[in-house]
Amino acid sequence: MSASLAPECNEVKERYDTCFLKWYSEKYLRGAEKDNKECADLFNEYQKCLGVALKTRGIDKLLDEAREDNKENDVRLTAPKK
Amino acid sequence: MVLTHSTNHTYSHPFPTVTLAYFLRYSSPQLNPFAAHVLSTDTISSHVDPETQRLYTTRIHLKKSRMPSAVYKLLPASVSGGNSSEKASYILETSVVDIKEGWMKTESRNLNFTGVLSVVEKQHFKVPSSAEAVARNETDVNSSVMFRSRLGDKIRGKIGQAQESSGWLPGFLGGLGAKGIQRSIESLASTKTIDQLSKSRDGMRLVLERLRNGGVIGVLEKLRQERQRQAAAL
Repeated sequence: MSASLAPECNEVKERYDTCFLKWYSEKYLRGAEKDNKECADLFNEYQKCLGVALKTRGIDKLLDEAREDNKENDVRLTAPKK
Repeated sequence: MVLTHSTNHTYSHPFPTVTLAYFLRYSSPQLNPFAAHVLSTDTISSHVDPETQRLYTTRIHLKKSRMPSAVYKLLPASVSGGNSSEKASYILETSVVDIKEGWMKTESRNLNFTGVLSVVEKQHFKVPSSAEAVARNETDVNSSVMFRSRLGDKIRGKIGQAQESSGWLPGFLGGLGAKGIQRSIESLASTKTIDQLSKSRDGMRLVLERLRNGGVIGVLEKLRQERQRQAAAL
């Protein structure tokens, strides 16, 4: 599996990815189950690890900026035409 | 100015497999040698809407820069990020799958270098509308890529990403013309990206073939073995 951007999160990321792909292919795609509760604990553990890395690398700020840009675009695209 | 490029393509694999290949396409260079430039992939959110049962996923990929070297040559190092080790882009990927209605919509955009160039790629995968195509297990995809350079434009009250390097920018853009530079960047980027789109389709096709031959469990098992080999080699 590809690496996490934070090497210290690799192990839990891989366990989560494997869980997600199994759930997705065996349950979601077959319409069997709506929520991936079985992967929720792994996901939370993974996000706890990743959240620190996103902050220290400033990616959380890049994400905020991307959301701001989206808002600007929405305003621009939905504005009444002059 | 904005430059847009749009294409249609048909995969000869059923829709659910194509969506699975989309999630798997950056899993490993062994699975998809066309993804060797992807350094990391992380999921930051994943949830199923309880009403629509649509799956929403957000991921961040770190890719070796896909900005064409010609763009770097146009720009001073203070804007382009300088030496090659820093030339990596964070890509934000959002996707929605509706398995009942048979479609998947994805969007990828760069998170850094946006003051120089924004690239937004959208893909719309869907079960074909004709019964014959459905019977042949095909999946249609429409891809569009939008390029927009805002170099020198005011973004949220700041001038692009070039703000720190005061001094050279007004003269640089004044001499060459900001709009001219923006158009050059957009067109250089689009030429390179259109090349890469066919590679990314080749990558999807390879992952799809491997899924056809081994199924997802087979693919996961291969990935696990590969990790063990890597761990043993360390």
